[in-house]
Amino acid sequence: MGLNRNVSLSAGLGYKGGGPYLTYILHRIGGSALFIFFTVYILSLLGLESMQALMGNWIFQTFMLTFGLFHAINGLRISILDLSPKLIEHYRTAITIEWMVYVLVAGFALFVVFRNAFGG
Amino acid sequence: MEVTVKIFRYSPEKDERGHYETYTVEAHENERILDVLELVKGHKDGSLAFRRSCAHGVCGSDAMRINGRNMLACKTLVRDVGANITVEPLLGLKVEKDLIVDMDPFFDNYRKMLPYLINESPLPADGKERLQSPEQRARFDETTKCILCAACTTSCPSFWASEEYYGPAALMAAHRFVFDSRDEGASQRLQILSETNGTVRCHTAYNCTNACPRDIHITQAIGELKMAMVTGNLE
Ligand code: SF4
Ligand code: FES
Repeated sequence: MGLNRNVSLSAGLGYKGGGPYLTYILHRIGGSALFIFFTVYILSLLGLESMQALMGNWIFQTFMLTFGLFHAINGLRISILDLSPKLIEHYRTAITIEWMVYVLVAGFALFVVFRNAFGG
Repeated sequence: MEVTVKIFRYSPEKDERGHYETYTVEAHENERILDVLELVKGHKDGSLAFRRSCAHGVCGSDAMRINGRNMLACKTLVRDVGANITVEPLLGLKVEKDLIVDMDPFFDNYRKMLPYLINESPLPADGKERLQSPEQRARFDETTKCILCAACTTSCPSFWASEEYYGPAALMAAHRFVFDSRDEGASQRLQILSETNGTVRCHTAYNCTNACPRDIHITQAIGELKMAMVTGNLE
């Protein structure tokens, strides 16, 4: 007898893990975004007009860049720490630096998207 | 001060699912959450069930979720979490009653790490201890501090997904022996860790490191195990 061990999505997301856990969650969302991006990209290469239109859509681009870039930069941080376990004790500093790099890179990328979309 | 504590309640005889009950007690801000639970049990509802033994952060029996995060009830003060407290059982283990979870899967995983010294070599000539330098001892000092409270393992999203994953606490037990210069079972343990339920399922969420009441750098120790598996270097 006993309540089953299953952890619901809301219970898992509700765990108060703080900043590092947030990067873990965003990394999964970013991975899913990249999967969608590459699917749409390949379909657009096959000549599907609706997919080509989606690739050019600024809302789609904004979504993909926001989450996809996070996945890439976070993945870089994870790889660096995996390769140098001694650095792992500084993981909070590494995550702060990661956010700074992300804001700069994503800020520039979104600037380009918005300029192309609205810049006349 | 007046403390409001919302506690997850579940009784297998009465409930199909759990529910929450809220109690109000008078407690000092320097009292521990364990004291608050004792007040509820002693004065409000004697049927409340939770584990505790040493009450001093040594035995590891009272890990639970306090305001959404795994902590030891005996090491957390009211002033650390405020006057509105929510107490729930650990995630990822079957709830047996109220705050008591079934620890069997946790200890099964622990045992898989062969958590004992393996050394078949004859004793030194004097027949006494197998000596070790202070530096060799310091190599695994961190992971000797584990009290098997399960706060780490039950904060890990990979363990939530599957209890087959050995989990951070079991990996700490492996680390404690893999890097012990007196032990000869490192390759056996690293082989176990290289299986699908081993270190590969650690995705560095850091929940374990943040939950550990002994401040063990768990993710770092797992990183060291991963590196030892790749390089074979146990220095
Ligand atoms: S590593 Fe820390 S959190 Fe995990 S079981 Fe040991 S003492 Fe508890
Ligand atoms: S009761 Fe022993 S660690 Fe809390």
